[in-house]
Amino acid sequence: MASQYDLNRRKFIQGAALLGVAPIMSGGSMAQQQKTQPQIPSGVIPKKQFGKTGIQVSAMGLGGYHLGSAETDQAANEIVAKAIDYGVTFFDNAWEYHDGLSEERLGKALRGKRDEIFLMTKVCTHGRDKKLAMRMLEESLRRLQTDHLDLWQIHEVVYDNDPDLIFVPDGAAEALSAAKQQGKVRFIGFTGHKDPEIHLKMLSHDFPFDSVQMPLNCCDATFRSFETHVLPEANRRGLAALGMKSLGGSGELVRHGAVTPEEGLRYAMSLPVSTTISGVDTMQVLDQNLQVAVNFKPLTTSEMQALRDRCRTLAGDGRLELFKMTTKYDGKIGREQHHFPTVQELPL
Amino acid sequence: MASTYEGTIPTRAFGRSGDKISILGFGGHHLGEAADEKTAVEIVHQAVDGGITFYDNCWEYRRGKTEVWMGAGLKGRRDKVFLMTKTCPHGRDSSVALLMLEESLRRLQTDHLDLWQVHGMAFENDPDLFIRPNGAAEALEKAKKDGKVRYVGFTGHHNAKVHLGMLKTGFKFDAVQMPLNAFDASFRSFEQQVLPELNRRGIAVLGMKPLNGHGEAIKNGVITAEEALRYAMSLPVTTTITGMESLGVLQQNLQIAQTFKPYCESEMDALRERCKQEAADGRYELYKLSLKFDNPEARLAHGFPLDTQQSEVKDMLGSAQNTGHPFPEKQF
Repeated sequence: MASQYDLNRRKFIQGAALLGVAPIMSGGSMAQQQKTQPQIPSGVIPKKQFGKTGIQVSAMGLGGYHLGSAETDQAANEIVAKAIDYGVTFFDNAWEYHDGLSEERLGKALRGKRDEIFLMTKVCTHGRDKKLAMRMLEESLRRLQTDHLDLWQIHEVVYDNDPDLIFVPDGAAEALSAAKQQGKVRFIGFTGHKDPEIHLKMLSHDFPFDSVQMPLNCCDATFRSFETHVLPEANRRGLAALGMKSLGGSGELVRHGAVTPEEGLRYAMSLPVSTTISGVDTMQVLDQNLQVAVNFKPLTTSEMQALRDRCRTLAGDGRLELFKMTTKYDGKIGREQHHFPTVQELPL
Repeated sequence: MASTYEGTIPTRAFGRSGDKISILGFGGHHLGEAADEKTAVEIVHQAVDGGITFYDNCWEYRRGKTEVWMGAGLKGRRDKVFLMTKTCPHGRDSSVALLMLEESLRRLQTDHLDLWQVHGMAFENDPDLFIRPNGAAEALEKAKKDGKVRYVGFTGHHNAKVHLGMLKTGFKFDAVQMPLNAFDASFRSFEQQVLPELNRRGIAVLGMKPLNGHGEAIKNGVITAEEALRYAMSLPVTTTITGMESLGVLQQNLQIAQTFKPYCESEMDALRERCKQEAADGRYELYKLSLKFDNPEARLAHGFPLDTQQSEVKDMLGSAQNTGHPFPEKQF
């Protein structure tokens, strides 16, 4: 059964279709899929440094959320297998994605391949304590069929008081340290899609994070910008920067004509990041991504600037970065923990 | 009965203008929730008799209904009050704003406004769109020069930084409206970031949402209505605008305003402290965070997608009595 979180995203895509725009990330008819079948060059995805750890990861990472949206377990398996064949080594997930289905599917798909890849998942305490975080870690390890994570991150730091709640005594930050000390996770970090100021507040604690995940795309470059405000700080501190939402979260940048999928992905991958995480729920989307990522060469500075300039007006009021502007990308558990009504229950 | 309250609300100076207005202002949006026009007219009559001299409205509230009802209520009383309404170009041309002014004057049955404000500054490019050549700034100047409005200002509830951006345009505003309450005090705060700057510039400050828009924190027992109103009215503002959709709410508000004594600084701090914990993630100030309090007209004018299947958007459209299409569909 699909989770509430999934339903919200699904609804959004259907709503967009009602407005007369075709969803590009999520389907289309078989005929269309065959017609637009991209040619993947022979070769592999290049690797990049994961912060100052000495480890390398693939320049494109596979987003875990959409594995739970794939039609069947088998489809998810095939996506993971093909991604690995073309050199994807970075795998993203979260304890709360699809009520655990995303982790379970990834666990099955990685059987026998665990040692070839760099595995990340996220803990979803949303302000609750260390003990709960450690329980979530055990559950994630079990679902992912492994005894350790390469990276464990605090999920969805998006509410203004989240940094305060994470750093209270016996809070989630202590869980990260403990898990690292126990050898259950190699590296630790946090994620969020809302506001650069919240990310900077997290960093201001000088906690020994190894990574930080954030939205990075052509519109973000000029609007409440993580690229301008957080990325340089992450680079300065030697943290691995993990980009996400390169096309707006659900392909908004593409659907509203800001960029092509190729331009959007190439822009994000050309930034000083360790990897760009992109969600994939069909083979068509995977092929589209691989076409860009295999043998990837970064855009030039002037090509980057041209894309920023082209998107500046569309970016100006946040209309294509709904994860910054609205609550529709905020997960169910986080909303509950902060006493926000569900999307369905508004108004209060 | 109404005469009990006559003329008993304290007044304060409207910026540096020399005008004085009542410390309690009558919010126009809620007037549209009155049972019918007759009730609305009665509410306005009793408000005037009770000493409220500041009247708020807006061209786009409930597709003109609240201006029409307020116009009917103020008939024969126009000279006793300080009348404000707002224009809603949302980034569009000066000519759009001026067309709306004529319509507002007609609905309100008057030949001039005391204050005309640009409504709903919310998006980060609003200041640029406002000050651009042929933008709304030119409409404000023209209306003032033509004697159709005495003072001009702007409003918004979303983002203190957008307010500061409007001030940075250098345009000479007489008034600025914004949310001020004990929760705002510690969350993305207009009180901290905008209020001192307005005081410094001598601009009239119009507080709104003293009860967080729809009184959620009061329903949940965090703060009482009287504490919330007194908090807002004790800030260095000219007036505090609140909605009064029934005679019962009006009388309750009149009583608080007539017996008003400002809180001392330690009482203010105690209220801020009490609300701080629950203010910290914005759950009681959804107008800063949620689509529900956004304005469909503004989003449409900005080309911002409206996903009409989404529940927050449904709430937004319902409260504006909008169908998801621009209003009026052809005029602009």
